[in-house]
Amino acid sequence: MTADAFLFWFLAALTIISALSVILMTNPIYSALSLAMTMVSVAAIFVTLQAYFLAGVQIIVYAGAVMVLFVMVLMLFDLKHELQAFTRGRFSGAFKIASIGSLAGLLVGAMYSARINSALTESSIAANATSKGAITPLAEELFLRNVFGFEALGVLLLVIAVGTVALSRSKGGTHARH
Amino acid sequence: MPDISILTTITPNHYLVLSACLFMIGVAGVLLRRNLIVLFMSIELMLNAVNLSFVTFSHSFGKVDGQVMVFFVMTIAAAEAAVGLALAVSIFKRFKEVNIRFFEHLKG
Repeated sequence: MTADAFLFWFLAALTIISALSVILMTNPIYSALSLAMTMVSVAAIFVTLQAYFLAGVQIIVYAGAVMVLFVMVLMLFDLKHELQAFTRGRFSGAFKIASIGSLAGLLVGAMYSARINSALTESSIAANATSKGAITPLAEELFLRNVFGFEALGVLLLVIAVGTVALSRSKGGTHARH
Repeated sequence: MPDISILTTITPNHYLVLSACLFMIGVAGVLLRRNLIVLFMSIELMLNAVNLSFVTFSHSFGKVDGQVMVFFVMTIAAAEAAVGLALAVSIFKRFKEVNIRFFEHLKG
């Protein structure tokens, strides 16, 4: 077994196990920590796919900023172990799990029949990377061809920031006691 | 001797199946959990799975378009988490609980 294959299987197992523990832990803090672990292993998978800059951004934005946000809010709530962490109802639960399983089978079956069989090799991204530097093609794509989307994203972030502050300052909306 | 090339040769298919598994775990979390925060975490899992398949396709086609899309998805995900958590805080202030059991009382 080559080192590449071993690395992939190790990272895949790590990702799946930590993702499963996100939804199976009853204490939300443990869920948050498992989510951070999932983000880090997905970043490592990005490295194996030669998306080095995205791996860095993944760690900074997700494992850094978003996770800090989650953990801060969890600590604000001071949640203990929940009594009803999962939805009730044996029948509806079995139905949900069955539908998840059939959807997963459908997806994997579709991929299996589509079968992109070429072994993972050094792609032309890597060839570009050695000639132009790793980030140059990405920057050209982002700032030359997708500049409108980039600017629109900036406006969206401004709106989101204002909206979040307004939302957290609101005194309960329709539930306000006058 | 059985064919073990599926174990030793990593194709884009492997990454796509991993992404599908991650997505399904996220869907299971959204359907089965009742804590609002864990629901948001499951949504983040699903977005990560989509990012993973974007990067896989970008790598296998040798273009960076997919990676640019991942940037947009990450930004939207961060914004969504911020708004969702602000909503969760304002709901917690009212109900002292973030279990979605209580959300049927949202209307006045």
